[in-house]
Amino acid sequence: MLMQLTISGLSQGAIYALIALSLTVVFRATTVVNFGHGDFVLGGAFGVYVLVVMLGLPFVPSAIAAIVLMFVCGVLISRGFINPIKAGPHIGFAMMSISIGYIFRGTTRSIWGREVLPMPRVFDIEPVFIGDLVITGDAMIISGIVAILLLAFFIVFYKTSIGKLIQAVYQSERGATLIGINVQRFHDMMWGAGLAMGAVAGILIAPISLLHPDLGAGFLIRGFAAMTLGGFGSLGGAVAGGLILGIMEQYAGAYVNTALIDITSYLVILIVLVVRPSGLFGKRAVVRV
Amino acid sequence: MNGLLNLKDVSVHFAGLKALTDVSLSANAGEVTAVIGPNGAGKTTLFNVISGYVQPTAGEIYFKDEAIHGLTPHAVSARGVRRTFQNGGLFGEMTVLENILTGLHVQIDSNFFGLLFGTRKANEVEKEAAARARRLLALMDMDEFVDQQVKSLSGGQQRMIEIVRTIATEPPMLLLDEPAVGLSPPMRARMMEVIKRLAGEEGIAILLIEHAIDLVMAGSDTIIVLNSGQKIAEGKPQEIRENREVLEAYLGYA
Amino acid sequence: MNQEITKTKRPFMQSGRVFYLVPLVVALIPLFANNYLQFMANMIMVYVLVTVGFNLVIGNLGQLAFANTAFFGIGAYMTAILMTYAGFTYETALVGAAIFGGLAGLLASITALRGIRLYYLAIITLAFGELMRWVYIHGESVTRGTDGLPLPDVTVFGLSMHSDTAKFYFFLLITVLVVKGTSNLLRSRVGRAIMAIRDNEMTTASLGISTANYIILTFVWSGSVVGIAGGMFAAATGRVFPESFSLTEVIVHFAMVMVGGTGSLIGSVIGGIVLTALPEYFRQFPGMEELFFGIIIVIVLLFLPKGLVSLLAKVSPLFRERYFRE
Repeated sequence: MLMQLTISGLSQGAIYALIALSLTVVFRATTVVNFGHGDFVLGGAFGVYVLVVMLGLPFVPSAIAAIVLMFVCGVLISRGFINPIKAGPHIGFAMMSISIGYIFRGTTRSIWGREVLPMPRVFDIEPVFIGDLVITGDAMIISGIVAILLLAFFIVFYKTSIGKLIQAVYQSERGATLIGINVQRFHDMMWGAGLAMGAVAGILIAPISLLHPDLGAGFLIRGFAAMTLGGFGSLGGAVAGGLILGIMEQYAGAYVNTALIDITSYLVILIVLVVRPSGLFGKRAVVRV
Repeated sequence: MNGLLNLKDVSVHFAGLKALTDVSLSANAGEVTAVIGPNGAGKTTLFNVISGYVQPTAGEIYFKDEAIHGLTPHAVSARGVRRTFQNGGLFGEMTVLENILTGLHVQIDSNFFGLLFGTRKANEVEKEAAARARRLLALMDMDEFVDQQVKSLSGGQQRMIEIVRTIATEPPMLLLDEPAVGLSPPMRARMMEVIKRLAGEEGIAILLIEHAIDLVMAGSDTIIVLNSGQKIAEGKPQEIRENREVLEAYLGYA
Repeated sequence: MNQEITKTKRPFMQSGRVFYLVPLVVALIPLFANNYLQFMANMIMVYVLVTVGFNLVIGNLGQLAFANTAFFGIGAYMTAILMTYAGFTYETALVGAAIFGGLAGLLASITALRGIRLYYLAIITLAFGELMRWVYIHGESVTRGTDGLPLPDVTVFGLSMHSDTAKFYFFLLITVLVVKGTSNLLRSRVGRAIMAIRDNEMTTASLGISTANYIILTFVWSGSVVGIAGGMFAAATGRVFPESFSLTEVIVHFAMVMVGGTGSLIGSVIGGIVLTALPEYFRQFPGMEELFFGIIIVIVLLFLPKGLVSLLAKVSPLFRERYFRE
């Protein structure tokens, strides 16, 4: 039982980890917390839905197209909406990202608002039985793809020259400007990368759950909970936080009450921020005044 | 050790970093006491510990013979030790008059419910405060800016406004953190004049951090030199000018 | 130097007293409104107070807290609960709504005081609001879950408030009192202290102002005002549903503050009026409401960051708020 729950928790958590990581990428690069992210995650899923179900295209090219599309959206948001209000108060960023998220959500709802959309199953893999344990094909695919992506991400981030450059800009934006890095373009790219990664999460989760415009809010909150748990702004922490959150939800649902699954992330946010604001792995989180 | 403000062996350590070590000093009413020293000498930490923004690791601070170490910033301020900030501390979205009125806050005697219901008495107190703020600005020749948003003013004007706001309650003790930094030469001279006037005519005890050594030499009664968190010298401007250790540590002479 | 401060009274139409005419004009609405317009007018007053309360925290104190829907929901549910289970009359239940809204505000302020600010505050208050909605849904034995909790007959001091017109006059009275009280506070040392914290918290303390006390005060006052609005909302709609306090509601409140003008009381009133009336039309089409509010906020952020009130301030200095009295 415990093992079974842990395994399904991990495959759920892999999605949360990806969402939290994509939020963190944007946050670290631009100091903007993207409150519209849940809807952008869903944007990727709806993109695939349109291409696969409505236009009848094959899954893989559709997924790639949707990811590229969300990357472009990210760049446009950075360029057209975040950059112009840079001089204003920080609250503006939050409001801007929420509002763009709502525009996304409103668009999907005005098209598909009255129904819940089933995504066709993409990969039909037989579940694997190990003793009493059942590992579903979906769980294997999700965990596998996320694991490969995370590995690729951290290799790029820590081992390549591009990654070193990104780290340099994270450290000091002014320093980066001095050595000739175009910080605005960097922000655009990071927004694009964040939305593209979020889209991957949405695409992975779509086939195993039904699509509905309201799902976005849940993604956002879980992403925040994972970030908070792992330590706001920490890349590794976001991944660890996501996995732990996924497992916690399963345990809470099985051992306490299924209704608790919905609020595990809220409770995590409340408790972590009040008790240990730096999270499990983060260093500083609190603005002391 | 019988000044208006007395520090006794005050130390401030941040996680191993010794920002201040055993600093003792006094500041007297009607005198300008300047604190000088190279960057990182602990000058701003000294101000922060006096005004309650930083708690001392060891040592005692007395104002009017009452211990003020361990108090919160607003409590220190309410006792009459007011300060300015190096980076400017005005409320940018508010007008000049509203800034001065905020400075008068503790002397506006009205309670919450009086204000909520807009009682005649509460309104009268508010009106008196506004009139007093206007008079104060007029006194400092700043009355032309009264209704302007603070952020639309020049750096020099903002510094002046900040000082007016700080002295609005007529505090007995003033800590000025680099009041002349970034000002044009005529503005600097005027600023120093104002500071001397506040000490000489109003009898305020002034503790001053200033980098411009010419202003310090010309305007202060006593100079305290900090280096690496320690007080290395104290004396009249003339004595400091001739102190070898100071020259080496601060003024850069070999 | 010796400039005499003149104390001549300005003519009525050029002084702030001209705003007293607004409720007098508004009081005439029932004379020509049909049922639908009457209901809208009632909802407008609900949202004016929602915006007034939200703007205090967002605009005046400058804290990014999303607890407003929580305050709103707590006010609405407490009104319904106190009336249904404790037999309170409407006016006393409304006092309860204000108290519980204020307590929720106190809770939110404690997080802010613990140094949880900016995005952390936004996220924790967002979680707070969603947690409350979960409580409404799952606390079925009290809240009746998603079926909604109906309000018993609304009476005020023994008078039946059954008709929308009766509610209208009672709401108008409350709205005027709350807005006037908030205006009084803002135009005093309290309002200045709150805005000083927004502009520079550190130096505010150096002026002898206890920043913690004013942060608490702002949240509690905001919570109470929005709690009252929640109580009015419950009476206006007759039944309280969890879905009325979802995340979608957050953006509605946000839009009202932004469109009216952040940090402006007059702006709050304008935002509440403009955005309650307009989007009602869109509610019948799914998704349109979200699109409308999303686009409106984006436009305001990009092109009119100080809201409609900044346009009006260019026309007449009456709309430029002064936070002092002379």
